[in-house]
Order: sequence, then C-alpha cells, then structure tokens
Amino acid sequence: MLSLIKEIRDVYKWRELLWQMVAREVKTRYKQSVLGYFWVILNPTAQMLVMSFAFSIIMRIPTNAASNIPYSIFLFVALLPWNLFSNSLSSACSSLVSSSSLITKVYFPRSILVISTILAKIVDFLFANIVLIVYMIAYRMPITVNILWIIPIFFIQQIFTLGLALFFAASNLIYRDIQYLLSLILLLWMYLTPVIYPADLVPAKYKVIYQLNPMAVIINAYRQTILGGGSPNYISLFIALILSILVLLIGLSYFKSREKVFADNI
Amino acid sequence: MKTTVPTVIKFENVVKKFSLQNQKTFKEFIPALLKGEETKTGFTALKNISFEIKKGETVGIIGPNGSGKSTILKLIAGVMSPSSGKVTTKGKISPLIELGAGMHPELTGRENIFLNGAILGLKRKQIQQYMQDIIDFSEIEEFIDQPIKHYSSGMYMRLAFSIAVHVNPEILLVDEILAVGDADFQAKCFKRMEEFKASENVTTVFVSHALGHVETFCTRVIYLNHHQILFDGDPHEAIKKYSND
Repeated sequence: MLSLIKEIRDVYKWRELLWQMVAREVKTRYKQSVLGYFWVILNPTAQMLVMSFAFSIIMRIPTNAASNIPYSIFLFVALLPWNLFSNSLSSACSSLVSSSSLITKVYFPRSILVISTILAKIVDFLFANIVLIVYMIAYRMPITVNILWIIPIFFIQQIFTLGLALFFAASNLIYRDIQYLLSLILLLWMYLTPVIYPADLVPAKYKVIYQLNPMAVIINAYRQTILGGGSPNYISLFIALILSILVLLIGLSYFKSREKVFADNI
Repeated sequence: MKTTVPTVIKFENVVKKFSLQNQKTFKEFIPALLKGEETKTGFTALKNISFEIKKGETVGIIGPNGSGKSTILKLIAGVMSPSSGKVTTKGKISPLIELGAGMHPELTGRENIFLNGAILGLKRKQIQQYMQDIIDFSEIEEFIDQPIKHYSSGMYMRLAFSIAVHVNPEILLVDEILAVGDADFQAKCFKRMEEFKASENVTTVFVSHALGHVETFCTRVIYLNHHQILFDGDPHEAIKKYSND
C-alpha cells in the first residue's frame, strides 16, 4: 500500500510527461491514417454487426428473459468495455519494449509509459461509445439514475487493468513471448466472461468462478445498470474491487522490483 | 583544495554487474533449460569505482570501447542502478546521450519540444518560456511546425541539442554527440558548453573518443580501462597515458 502511495506521488510529480505521452499517442493515431479516429469507431461497430449476426441470428443466444433488448445493443454494452480492457492490456504489454530508447537514456517513473498507454486507450474508448449512445437513443432505451453506477464500475475496471498491465509490461521485457501468451489468455478470457452471452445462462455450479473473475462481474454490472436499469450486485462488485486492488498491489510490487534492471535487459 | 564547492556526483565503491538473459524467447529458453545450458551470463562492467565530481567541473571520460564509459553515464542519469556501492547525484540532470531518444517522427518540431521538455522533467510553463530560445538556437524556425520525419538528420540533431541545453541543466551528460552535425553548429554547441563551463553552475560529464576535444574542453579527465579507473586528473597526462597503453 505504501509503495502505491509513493508511486502515485511520483507519477503526479511527472504529470506533465504523462499528458505529453497521452497526447503523443492520441495525436499520432489521428495523423498517421486518413480516416484517423474513424477507425476507432468503425472497428467495434463492424465487430458488433458480425458478432450479432453470428450469435443472434444463427446461434440465437437469448439476451434476457424479461426484456426484449436487441442482441446488438446487449452485445455492444459489454463488447466496448471488454475491448478497452483487451486493447489496454496488449498495448501496455509492449509499451516498455517499444520505448526502450527512452528507458536506456532518461530517468522518469517507468509506470508512466504503462499508464499513458492505458489513458490513450480510454480516449479511444470514449470515441467508440458515440455509436452506442446514438444506437441507444435510436432504440429509445429507457435509462434510470442507476446508470451512474458505471462510474465506479469503470474505476474498478481500470484498477484491475492497471495491475495486470504493470505485471505484463514488466515481464514482457524479460521474455518477449509474454505478449503472445497474453493474446492467447485474452482470447480465452473473453469466452469465460459474459460478453457474448448473458450471465444468467451460466449454470449455478460454475457461478463461483464467475464471481472470482473481476471482468465477468464488471461486464455484467455494466449490463445490469445500463440495460436493466437496476443496481449491480453489491457483493460481487465489492469482491471485484478487493481483487482488483490486490492485483494492482501485486502488479506494482513486481513492476517496482524489476524496474531497476529494465535498462539492463533491453 | 576548495572545500566550499559542493560535490554533485559521488560514486562510492560502485560495482556494476550485468546478468543478461541469454534467451529472449521461450523457444530459445526452454530447450536451453532442458539441455542444462547456462541461461544467464554475468559480466562486470565496472569494478569498484569511486570518484567525486564537484559542482562546475568539466570532466571527460576516456577509454577504449567496452571499458564502461557509457555505463557510468547511465548510472549518473539514474537509468541503471549499481549492483553494489552507491551513486549519489545532486541537481537536475540533462542527458545528451544519443540525442532525440524521445522524439516522435509524426509530431512537429514544436510538439516534440513539449514532449522532450516533459521527458527532461520540465513543466509546460517552463517549456513555453524557453520555446523561442530553443527555436532560435536550433536555426530551424521555418520548419518548426512540420513533422520532424521531414527533417534532415542535421536538423534533427540541432533541435535535440537545443532542447537539452535550454532546460537549465545542473548536470549535463554528453555522449559522443558532437561527432554529428556541420562544423558551424558544432562550434556553436561548444560555445554553449563553454558558457556553461564559465558559469561554474553546470557540471559537465563528457564521454568522447575525440581526444582533441577532450583535451581542450575538459578540466579533468578520468581514464577508464579494464572496468577500472587507471587515471584521474590532468587531461594532458590522462590522454598521454591512454595513448601509451
């Protein structure tokens, strides 16, 4: 816990660099391709359309017994935060390796490289949400005040992401295979998380596994609060929060223990 | 001895050992592990190095390739940590080690000044304050709002040098950089470094193979070989000793 507070203080001291790094990521994405930010929107939309076709028209996965929410919205609410998680992790994983020229030359808190990558992905995520919002308005989806829950849920998701990102980024510096291993993990993880199917379909005896998977809890909570208009499962969310903080502390302490030899290992 | 001048860089019995992973991928690592091969190689880059550098000194470090010169700069910069012993530094460090490490080709010159300034630990306001000086010094006024991927390597280097010397460094680390760039700009860089030297506020550590530069520019030279300090003192004598070895 103490190391976390110290790290936060360090990063705050270097916040100018953090903003510059985020700005660099965002600006270069915009500048490098003709369509720029359009890709950020096009990508998940195309994904959503094809997956909706496969899972709703062909495989006929039910959304929710009580309501008649179209599958595409049902999927999109979960797919966008999942993509954020998955993109953040895979970019953060290679963030140290791709900034190796900086690491061997200048001192600054190395966690800035990981955090700035995640922040840049959050910017992308916000753009991608435009489609969802438009879609929800078009379908006249009822929204309740419970939607405000997405703020703490999003926060828990970021704690969890950062913890894992720190761990994977530091280990990828030692073995470059970690990034391939990570893409495999992420692929399997998505199917173990209720992204394409509703959480209620999970048989009772496997529920425990889902409760211990913070991403399952988080994704399900987004759905409950945005689509169902209900409040999330407090106990599950609390467990997810505790697990996320634990993951962050472990990830950070591993990162800090390797930080001293980053420059030796590149 | 002037005892009033504070020490800004202090190495106490510094040892730097590298323990390098031989295999970067599992494909290489797992067979090596099964065959019982060494998975790590250790080598010592610095053996028990101690020295002190006082504020305002201009110190050159010379020695053959692989003698540990760059490792010393990296230890001063705080990029690496010693395996044993202690490195202490006081003041803001501006590393000129291989210029332009933080430059991004897609960004304009001006955007890169902000980015690099931040990497060197400056606040936005400070960068804005130095902006015009940096642009003037670099002599690339008309290209400053173009992406630096269109710059020539000379322009690139001029921009990077301008940033590094305008951040008000207290410790300036210079590694072989003046070998690039045209003669005029090189002279300008040296002039700027001479100003630092005259001000007695800036400590410069200078690593170079250009012995002529070292001799004229430095007030003290450390000669490094076989990972140890063989001589520390008068530039002329240090270079003589290096040439004889």
